[in-house]
Amino acid sequence: MLTTDQKDALQEIANIGMGQAGEVIARVLNEFVTLSIPRILILQPNLIAPALQRMVNSENVSAVRQAFHGSVRGEGLVLFGSKRCTDLADLMGYEGEVDHETELEILLDISNILVGACLGGIAKQINIDIGFSAPSLMADRVPIKEMMQVDNVPWQHALLVEVNFQLEKRSFACHLIILMPEEELVKFAAALDVFLESL
Amino acid sequence: MQSGELSPLLSFLVERLEVGIFAVDTEMRIVLWNRFMAVHSSQQSSDLIGKNLFEAFPDLPVKWLEKKIKNVFILKNYAFTSWEQRPYLFRFHHNRPITGGVDTMQQNCTFLPVKNDQDEVEYVCITLFDFTDTAIFQQQLNTAIEELGKEKAEQQELIKKLEDAQNQLQQSEKLASIGQLAAGVAHEINNPVGFVNSNVGSLDGHTKSLLELIAAYENAAAKLAEPSAEFQAVEELKKKIDFEYLKEDIGDLIRESKDGLGRVKKIVQDLKDFSHVDNKQEWQFADLHKCIDSTLNVVWNEVKFKAEVEKNYGTIPEVECLASQLNQVFMNLIVNASHAIAERGKITITTSAENDWVCVAVTDTGSGIAPEHLKNIFDPFFTTKPVGTGTGLGLSVSYNIIAKHGGRIEVDSVVGTGTTFSIHLPVKHPQIPEDA
Repeated sequence: MLTTDQKDALQEIANIGMGQAGEVIARVLNEFVTLSIPRILILQPNLIAPALQRMVNSENVSAVRQAFHGSVRGEGLVLFGSKRCTDLADLMGYEGEVDHETELEILLDISNILVGACLGGIAKQINIDIGFSAPSLMADRVPIKEMMQVDNVPWQHALLVEVNFQLEKRSFACHLIILMPEEELVKFAAALDVFLESL
Repeated sequence: MQSGELSPLLSFLVERLEVGIFAVDTEMRIVLWNRFMAVHSSQQSSDLIGKNLFEAFPDLPVKWLEKKIKNVFILKNYAFTSWEQRPYLFRFHHNRPITGGVDTMQQNCTFLPVKNDQDEVEYVCITLFDFTDTAIFQQQLNTAIEELGKEKAEQQELIKKLEDAQNQLQQSEKLASIGQLAAGVAHEINNPVGFVNSNVGSLDGHTKSLLELIAAYENAAAKLAEPSAEFQAVEELKKKIDFEYLKEDIGDLIRESKDGLGRVKKIVQDLKDFSHVDNKQEWQFADLHKCIDSTLNVVWNEVKFKAEVEKNYGTIPEVECLASQLNQVFMNLIVNASHAIAERGKITITTSAENDWVCVAVTDTGSGIAPEHLKNIFDPFFTTKPVGTGTGLGLSVSYNIIAKHGGRIEVDSVVGTGTTFSIHLPVKHPQIPEDA
């Protein structure tokens, strides 16, 4: 689906993008953050859920999805395992007790920041313009298998970029997954080619 | 960012779109405040431009919102709020002053970074969409779903009750037909036993007469001076058949037969009493001691190898009841008590009266009931007996019979020591609608 050159370029771009994202998120949260080196996979629909399961290593997950659109379209997924994000309430300016609705709002907000920063970082590298829809809650502590319904999708392969996000002091972690169907992947590959030629 | 900087069309749209649009600079000063915001906040743009957002609106959650806006400046990216988690940013009246539904306009907000040529975020523009209708619709939907769920649960509960009732009906029909069968058999046995009894009576008389006759012969023979050869033969026959023993045994045989017949008659009577086919399910005053005795006789075969039965009867008045149904209860309790006893034990039946209530307690020295089973023992089909041994209906049926009598059934059990079931019955049957 991607040539070796394209894949290498994507890896490089993603690395730089995550570096920038980590820096800006650290400024937002005033905490030391760790973003893993992005892992890039191209998967068939039925293999996505098992792949996510391996990454998260937790039976039940909460998840937020956020669409991005522009020259390429896709979805960002942020998966939260057993670690809850109530711990981050004060970093986001919340005061008082954190109820369930607030917890979900934090979940959405953290996801928005991660997806925006990471995808924004990648898009900026290859000079494409993307915007974001509002994030929405996809799962609230359910098994991954029930969360993803990929029985009837119009695509055969999807690009999956996985990044782990950690706040060491808070022992908080979540996983960012960027998913693009193959149709969009073709456009993305074209954008990568433009980037490669410009080097 | 004054509206004047925009083209007339754009400034018209910003001003008149049915969406709240406002913007702040890095110092949180208001730089844009469109008509939607002005109308709903009752604060004119001309009064607000240049003012600090949080000074103008002290009700806003300052710490959180300031952080949220600052993050947009830093991240140069969108941020959002949704009515589902955060119903509103500004407490505005909703657009349903008449029809109502919610107390405040429900809002979805988008925080948009407005960048300058150097790719720096100069302003954050916030758009505020009225989601009140969606929220109300969602609310109605949730209420409907909740009600449907509740109804479904209720229906399931009803179905279960129906099944239970049907099973109990079947069980009580079964018991009723067993009762009828028993009564029929009892009636059939009653006739032959009657004439056998009368015949044995006659036989007793006849035998006595015959023995008297033989005695008279013997007397006469003794008076003859010299026994003839014929008498010699009679004497030998007497020895051969052991006449002296015969004379004694014939009396014993008849006495024992009479005794046996008496017992058959008693069993037949007990079966009739037990099934009460004579008085078709009528509320009558009955002597519970008689009921218990006849039940004990019916189940004696099952109990006698397991336990000795001690009757601890007090003085109790007659109780208005359906005696045949109470017999079922006593039978269940006594049979259960004997089942609870592994080798050999004791069943004590105690009766007592207090005020207008009568208590019958059946105590066994059996294995007892585990505490975790206690709450289930009156449930239909609950049994700890091996498959095929118990139906799990006995106590459930008993419970319902006692409830129908306006009474209650209590259990007190210690594992390893034994169990007491106490039945409390009102002497006078309270008038309960007969739908049970």
